[in-house]
Amino acid sequence: MHSDENVQIVGIADLKVAAAPAILRTNLGSCVAVCVYAAERRVGALLHVMMPAAGQAAAKASLKKTKYADTGIAEMMYKLKTAHGLEPPALTAKIFGGAKVLPDVTQNIGNENEVAVRRNLAQYGIKIIAYKTGGERGYKINFDVSTGKVVCEIFGGQPEEY
Amino acid sequence: MMENGRDVADRAIQLVARLSIDKSSQVLSKMVKTGAYIEMERAYVGDISEISTVISENYTDIVGAFIDLQGDMPCKFLFFVDAQDSMALADMLLRRPAGTTKEFNEYTISAIQEIGNVLASAISNVFSADLQIKMKPSPPEVVHDFAGTIFQEYIRTVAGAMDEIMIIESKFRVVKVDMRCNMFIVPQASIEAFFQMISKVL
Repeated sequence: MHSDENVQIVGIADLKVAAAPAILRTNLGSCVAVCVYAAERRVGALLHVMMPAAGQAAAKASLKKTKYADTGIAEMMYKLKTAHGLEPPALTAKIFGGAKVLPDVTQNIGNENEVAVRRNLAQYGIKIIAYKTGGERGYKINFDVSTGKVVCEIFGGQPEEY
Repeated sequence: MMENGRDVADRAIQLVARLSIDKSSQVLSKMVKTGAYIEMERAYVGDISEISTVISENYTDIVGAFIDLQGDMPCKFLFFVDAQDSMALADMLLRRPAGTTKEFNEYTISAIQEIGNVLASAISNVFSADLQIKMKPSPPEVVHDFAGTIFQEYIRTVAGAMDEIMIIESKFRVVKVDMRCNMFIVPQASIEAFFQMISKVL
């Protein structure tokens, strides 16, 4: 059982980096949660990706980097390096979400987010060691930075540990 | 925008929200045949991450209706209610004894669609009749999920090109069954464009 004071809520298009003890918590629909962990140092980061790529928005001076898979993962790597001295070889990833919650939407943004996250993690050589993605229901994610374990609960289902 | 221009726009938004809410209250009371009071909680501009953090903590089981208000000033409208209360609303709309509906089914979906549609139409009418801003609601899409998930999907549909959004948040209370429902309106245009349009017509 974890005390609430250790829980950090990660909003949409948000990034949180934390050292143990901490729980990083978020909700997902079509967005994808990228949980990156450095087991030896017990440091974790959760990026809540809203869109696959910054595209033309990348030229904006005020770009919200954590909104997109490409700029968000780059920002995550930068923060892990500057705050904790961590480089990609020390990291593993688990990814969750990317559902198609709104049934009548033609574009499957959830799937596009997942594909973009996988591609960008691969560019840094970060291995995805667990994932639960897709479907049509929302996700609730609790990432325990003390252990690296993620409890994922899909709406209407039971919590599962990854 | 100049400071006094912003003040005028702020007042205008409060007025638009008030008009919309008064009209919606009347329509909803008639529909559920009991007192239904809608109150504006707040209208504010905020960063999408900060706005969503509050509702991301909410894992309640809810039912939401997503509606596009299309026209001169496109907006996204969301109405949501606890899943339990959606069943009570279904009973009220179908004139059945309270407690008849015991599970989330096509009747509850239909009730939420209907209420969402009526509220969105009432708001569109205020914009069209009182402000000469033509708007038309799309058919509602009803989703049953975590509150946080539904709210995030709602934010995502408007925040593609924006990192900050303006949100008008209302709650209404149906007296007979003491339930609280939530309504949100988010303009799809930039905040400055929204202020300019509202200021122009008032």
